[in-house]
Amino acid sequence: MKANEFDVIIIGGGITGAGTQRDCAMRGLRTLLVDRSDIATGATGRNHGLLHSGARYAVNDPESAAECIRENMILRRVAAHCIDENDGLFVTLPEDDLDYQKTFVQACRNAGIRADIIDPDLARRLEPSVNPDIIGAVRVPDCSVDPFRLCAANMLDAKLHGGQVRLQTEVTGIIREGDTVKGIRTHNRNTGEDVEFYAPIVVNAGGVWGQELAQIAGVKVGMFPAKGSLLIFAHRVNNMVINRCRKPSNADILVPGDTVCIVGTTSSRIPLEECRNVAVTPDEVTLLITEGMKLAPRLASTRILRAYAGVRPLVSADDDPSGRNISRGIVCLDHEVRDGVKGLITITGGKLTSYRLMAEMATDLVCKKLGVDKACETATTPLPGSEEGSYEEVAKKIWENPTTAQKVAASRMGTRVSRMRSTDHRDEALICECEQVSMGEINLAIERLEASTLTDLRRRTRVGMGTCQGEFCACRAAGLLAKAHGCIEKEREDIDSFLQERWKGNFPIGWGETLREAEYTQWVYKHVLGI
Amino acid sequence: MRYDTVIIGGGLAGLTAGIRLQKAGKNTAIVSTGQNALYFFSGCFESIQEPTPEIQSLFSEAGIRLHYSPGVRLMPMGTFKESALALEDVSLFPSPKFGRKVLIINFMAYHDFFSSFLAEGLEKQGMECRIRFLNLGDLAQPELGPNQMRAVQIARKMDEVWDKVVQEVRVLLKDEDTVILPQVFGLNDATIPERIRQGIPARVVFAATLPPSVPGIRTQMLLKKRYEVLGGTYLMGDRVTGAHVYEDTVQNVVTKHLDRHYLEADNFILASGGFFSKGLDSNPFKVYEPLFELDMDYNTDRNAWYDPSFTNHQPYMGFGVKTDADFRPSRKGVPVKNLYVIGSILGETHPELGCGAGLAIRSALKVANLITEPHAVPGVYTE
Repeated sequence: MKANEFDVIIIGGGITGAGTQRDCAMRGLRTLLVDRSDIATGATGRNHGLLHSGARYAVNDPESAAECIRENMILRRVAAHCIDENDGLFVTLPEDDLDYQKTFVQACRNAGIRADIIDPDLARRLEPSVNPDIIGAVRVPDCSVDPFRLCAANMLDAKLHGGQVRLQTEVTGIIREGDTVKGIRTHNRNTGEDVEFYAPIVVNAGGVWGQELAQIAGVKVGMFPAKGSLLIFAHRVNNMVINRCRKPSNADILVPGDTVCIVGTTSSRIPLEECRNVAVTPDEVTLLITEGMKLAPRLASTRILRAYAGVRPLVSADDDPSGRNISRGIVCLDHEVRDGVKGLITITGGKLTSYRLMAEMATDLVCKKLGVDKACETATTPLPGSEEGSYEEVAKKIWENPTTAQKVAASRMGTRVSRMRSTDHRDEALICECEQVSMGEINLAIERLEASTLTDLRRRTRVGMGTCQGEFCACRAAGLLAKAHGCIEKEREDIDSFLQERWKGNFPIGWGETLREAEYTQWVYKHVLGI
Repeated sequence: MRYDTVIIGGGLAGLTAGIRLQKAGKNTAIVSTGQNALYFFSGCFESIQEPTPEIQSLFSEAGIRLHYSPGVRLMPMGTFKESALALEDVSLFPSPKFGRKVLIINFMAYHDFFSSFLAEGLEKQGMECRIRFLNLGDLAQPELGPNQMRAVQIARKMDEVWDKVVQEVRVLLKDEDTVILPQVFGLNDATIPERIRQGIPARVVFAATLPPSVPGIRTQMLLKKRYEVLGGTYLMGDRVTGAHVYEDTVQNVVTKHLDRHYLEADNFILASGGFFSKGLDSNPFKVYEPLFELDMDYNTDRNAWYDPSFTNHQPYMGFGVKTDADFRPSRKGVPVKNLYVIGSILGETHPELGCGAGLAIRSALKVANLITEPHAVPGVYTE
């Protein structure tokens, strides 16, 4: 085989693509993953970070609910370092109908989800931030998940199994011979290089952009993009996921994650052209705050760190071009059967929680087409970093008395943190003080996780995600990137785009402490540093 | 406690006003929360084109040497900015190509000084650059930990061992005509930068680090010392928490630490800074001055507060307390007789005064003159 020939090419570096690449690579296939920008830039990195128990779907979509709880239990084992097993509450407020609770609990149980009705008093003790006025509470096995970490771990494992990853690589064409897909034409947005890659199977895991990709390949996939806006608060006010026990609606989930918590979402249909540039509107911000306060009143006095929006890759069920029959379930299309185009598969729909199952379905189909007979092992093989349960144990095995920064690094990297151990204590220098990210961790992300810009580093290490939103760490990390890549000019532009990206999520909520911090950042960068 | 004037805010504006008033024989107090914008002062008075004798003497009497030389100064990331008046240790050049060969000195494991960016910027100007790293541990023990490598911690060490740096640089220096050092010298002794220049047989340029700014903190300390030598009362680490205003006159202010001992005065000066210093605050519905609830000059439509592009001018940074030509504010449209507003809390409501350090000094001097010359015609003032 030549260097540009593979068994399977996966388009899309979101969680679906990364998961599919890992599964294919674990089954012995030669894989290539391409993405036009970075990993986890689409819906993967723009959601609640909630590992659903399935309870939210139990009443309306029992099939998805059952899928979620199965995957939830699997991922707790195989992706331990990406997941916080903190459980969730479904609370009933005085304005909600308490009768719904019965329907809800019954539906959960039917789907195989443990749902315990608990006394509101107990709920208030378990989760002190919850609205004290609740009249009902149900405990369910929800978790928090770091989607960036999960995506990076899948990509890393695919690489450990011989897979290749090309980021900043845009697909410009699908190479076809008659009815058969033979490969892809790509354009590298960094180097300007145009390269062709060949494989008998191409998997379209482009999420909401899968429609464009399908079009390039000459088939039709109807996406119905729905924008969801969310707010990140600067403190972790809750320790359990808090949901409203009612029919799913706006801003009724509050998820804790690392040092922050996230409330969302809204939902509005948007045209496909707007997907790359979604913005949060002031009305959405108001709605999210007002509804969020009902879950945890403390949010009213908690600083908002950022506002952001993602686009759900909802897909219309087949043979329904109107889009009325939208599915939140997994859609795996064999375009040979469906459209007579050989060698093309689309895997879409689904959700973060069910990414592994989506990857398994897509890989099963790939293997069937290639005549490979090997069973899926992703449900039992831990991701790199997740070999041990608790990050504190991991930290203790490596450092006698781990510092806070070392514990935090272990929580982000799991067992892989051992690679950070260095005899040079200078590697412990904190680059990002808010999130306690050390130089060693940043250098590791540059070397091993394909980070080429500050924004890439943020997704992999949380650099610049904290309360100061990149005031000092941006230039410190830029110095390390410049050293690694040897290009200062590029780093100057990189700092600019990083600051712009941070500001984009700050100004929709620009008042109080956020405005204060923003003014300081303006002074530091424009007047002190002269950028 | 009664003073002639009570000043709220101990940054550049508050200290300038305080020094000027003490010199005029007034008895004043400054209430300062601690840190202020001087902690990230670039060392350059950007909006002052030419220093007046009054500004020159304000600084020279405090032991702060300025130099005036219109041109450009080197920024920390290797770019240049037009500047005319600066602290003595900030170099001003007629043009960006100020040398031929440059030796850039950095400390090992110090991430807040951007030697590689500086080198790239200077090479663009046609200068040849060489970067060398000094090991701080070789110069001063005990060694700073990896997370103590910040400007002020290094500067404290440098106050002791700056002469060792001079020796090291002399050894490293080949045929370079310029040496660039991080601006971590002379925290407690303003003469050190000049002594370093005398010890190195090349032009020495100090380039800024990430904040806190060592020359800024030094400036703050020297101005504060000058103010106290003149008899001023500097209440460090205290915060004004409330004010009593009767009709159109401020009666007194309350601070956190003085408890029920009100600070009374004939005149009050509000120099509490912009958003970052909490002189201004905001919520989703308004921008406001939190202490006196003074009338503001700002756009009430929140969507107009920002420019979506980070690099563009941000409208909110122009918002400030509304005053008359004598810097007197109003509350619900009623002018407050004995309150004056100076410094960045004015935003851009007085564009003729510039911004930052220029605005702080000019507005402070004008208000101090108004207070000391009560017979001056309102609205007419001279610099």
